[in-house]
Amino acid sequence: MTETAADTTRTGGVVPTALEAAVTTTDHLRIGRAWLASGALLLVASLVAGLLVSVERMDLTGMAVFGDVDSLFRFWSAYRVGLVLLVVVPVFVGLATAVVPLQVGASSIVFPRAAALGFWVWALGAAFTVAGFVIDGGLGTPGAVSRTDAVALTLLGLLMVIGGICCATVCILTTIVAGRTAGMNLSRVPLFAWSVLVAGSIWLVTLPVLAANTVLIYVDLTGRSAVAFGVEDTIWGQLSWAFSHPQVYAFALPLVGIAGDIVPVAARRRHGNHRALLVLTALIGVLSFGAYAQAAFDIGTPIREQAIFVVEAFLIVPLVLLVLVGLVDVLRRGVGSRRTRMPAPLYLSVLSVLFLLDGTVLGALRAVAPLDLLDRSTTGAQFTFTIGAALLAAMAGTLWWGDLIVGRVVPQGFGLASALAVAVGIVLVAVPDTISGFMGLTDFTGGDLGGAGNPESGVDVLNTVALVGSAHLLVGALGWLVTGVLRLRGARSLADPWGGHTLEWSTSPVEVTSESPLLDATVEAGA
Amino acid sequence: MSSTTFSPAVPNRPRTLVIGSALATSGVLMFFGGLFALYFSRRADAMAWGTEWFPEGAIRLPPGGMNMATMALSAITMAWAVYSVINNDRIHLYLAMAITAVMGVAMLNQTVFYFNDIALPIDHSEATTFLFVIVGAHMAMVLVGVFWLGLLLLRALGGQDTSRNRDLVSAAALYWYAAVVVYMVIWFGIYIAK
Repeated sequence: MTETAADTTRTGGVVPTALEAAVTTTDHLRIGRAWLASGALLLVASLVAGLLVSVERMDLTGMAVFGDVDSLFRFWSAYRVGLVLLVVVPVFVGLATAVVPLQVGASSIVFPRAAALGFWVWALGAAFTVAGFVIDGGLGTPGAVSRTDAVALTLLGLLMVIGGICCATVCILTTIVAGRTAGMNLSRVPLFAWSVLVAGSIWLVTLPVLAANTVLIYVDLTGRSAVAFGVEDTIWGQLSWAFSHPQVYAFALPLVGIAGDIVPVAARRRHGNHRALLVLTALIGVLSFGAYAQAAFDIGTPIREQAIFVVEAFLIVPLVLLVLVGLVDVLRRGVGSRRTRMPAPLYLSVLSVLFLLDGTVLGALRAVAPLDLLDRSTTGAQFTFTIGAALLAAMAGTLWWGDLIVGRVVPQGFGLASALAVAVGIVLVAVPDTISGFMGLTDFTGGDLGGAGNPESGVDVLNTVALVGSAHLLVGALGWLVTGVLRLRGARSLADPWGGHTLEWSTSPVEVTSESPLLDATVEAGA
Repeated sequence: MSSTTFSPAVPNRPRTLVIGSALATSGVLMFFGGLFALYFSRRADAMAWGTEWFPEGAIRLPPGGMNMATMALSAITMAWAVYSVINNDRIHLYLAMAITAVMGVAMLNQTVFYFNDIALPIDHSEATTFLFVIVGAHMAMVLVGVFWLGLLLLRALGGQDTSRNRDLVSAAALYWYAAVVVYMVIWFGIYIAK
């Protein structure tokens, strides 16, 4: 483990308190743990919002939970924004901050202070965003009855969240590009590091575009009178491209790397073609670039009916299928070579790729114009499958690398049970939404009270199933949180519990005593 | 037969600062890319419908042209700074960085004066909102660059920027060139095409 001694040397031998150490640390493992813990807490908050929306959908005419459509919309949009920018991306950033430097043979993350800054900016932004949603702000409402200052707070929070993620991503990508150990060229990096390189690059070129949208809205909203972008009932439309096809694939992409690293070690067989998986991951990343698909700024032919959107939607399906085939091939060759049971993360990571495939298939169906699914609840189903897949992979990743990140073990069974609850929840939420979409239910059901969830709508049974699914998701998330707490109290872990072949498992304990370890190492070597 | 002993290969110094700056700058460029894409798309729509984009006479070319000339010259002085640090020419390095920073401040001053002069309200129309957001964001970008150059100048005065430690200057130059490129698009898209 690379626990740092920098904190004590900086303070002249005075041992900092736990809080001081947590706030001032530049150790990549500690920063990674902070991202993971915050992401897990915000997952529970996001899923509570999702559960409340599901309860309200049972009978929208009564509005028993929220009281009005605008409040329902706030929580509905908070669920989507929260799951992506406050949960899935931060958890992947946390895993990458902790694991990627070890995978590429760097002694620490490059720019450790910037990495810490990224986390704290994100954390403050997340607090602002959540506060904005809670105090009647959010990202605009259909009825335009939000508090303007609270909407501005949400937008400011969103900007800080994006800034924090981008800052952390720059540190991770620089570590992969410039911090690799001698002899490890890019074609040899482990798949998780590669998938983070690809996904992080896409985040870096798309999240600033989302920030540009947000700044336009913020400036217009806080002016004397909003003229275009800050008009409340248009805000979500300008930002929604980041939470639907194809951009959601970019946020979920590291799951390919997590599965790609876990499967061969667990199955005791190497990938048939490592480079092919690298290329497939890169192609999925390129196709997931979604900043152009801003339906709110359509001129002439709607962007979502243009060839680029449709072709992209269909091309991504065979690529994900090929990834899945590659993983199954490794598993098939590995069957019988193990004397012991397959580890829990193996099942979860393969399941996550399967869910991603479901999401891409739904994305392709949405692009078929005659089916008219673009603004139906199929959009929500695709979101659930894709972001759910990412969540499942993140849970697999924390079970897999948790021993390395925390230095303590946890019973795999409890983690597996929690993740399976999440998997069941994903299916129970996404499948009814898919069917409802084909029956004509709109994506934001509150905008269509007559056909949304009253007893005569014909989708009430499906809404009930989705409610059970939301409850499953929440239970699974709580289980994941408890797993993390149990790990903190577990026994000390082995250096390599899985017999892994990637570099992070062979890294011997290193004490990081410098703020710039990579620089110091090369200066000492005379470069 | 004599044996030959080879010294171990000197490892390459990782240019982390340059790579990190390139990545961060690409993010900044995409921020402006998003703004420009929306700007040109909405402007094309307004033109197609025959509606007024900017109020008649509100945007004049000379102030934009002066700013463009200032930024273009600052790109040259920035390149001079990089050349000087590579050649360990500290006097020219001080001069080049100081002149670049002064040009950045001059550009900011000219822009603030011009926008006070035209007194166009930000909420006049969609076009003016775009104008203030794009120009304001670019001013923030230049301001960051000026602070960065000031920091570099202090480091250079302390003898820390040498040909062996030139990455911070190279990284700043990369960022500054990006600021110049962004202004070229502003100059063409807003001041010339209006």
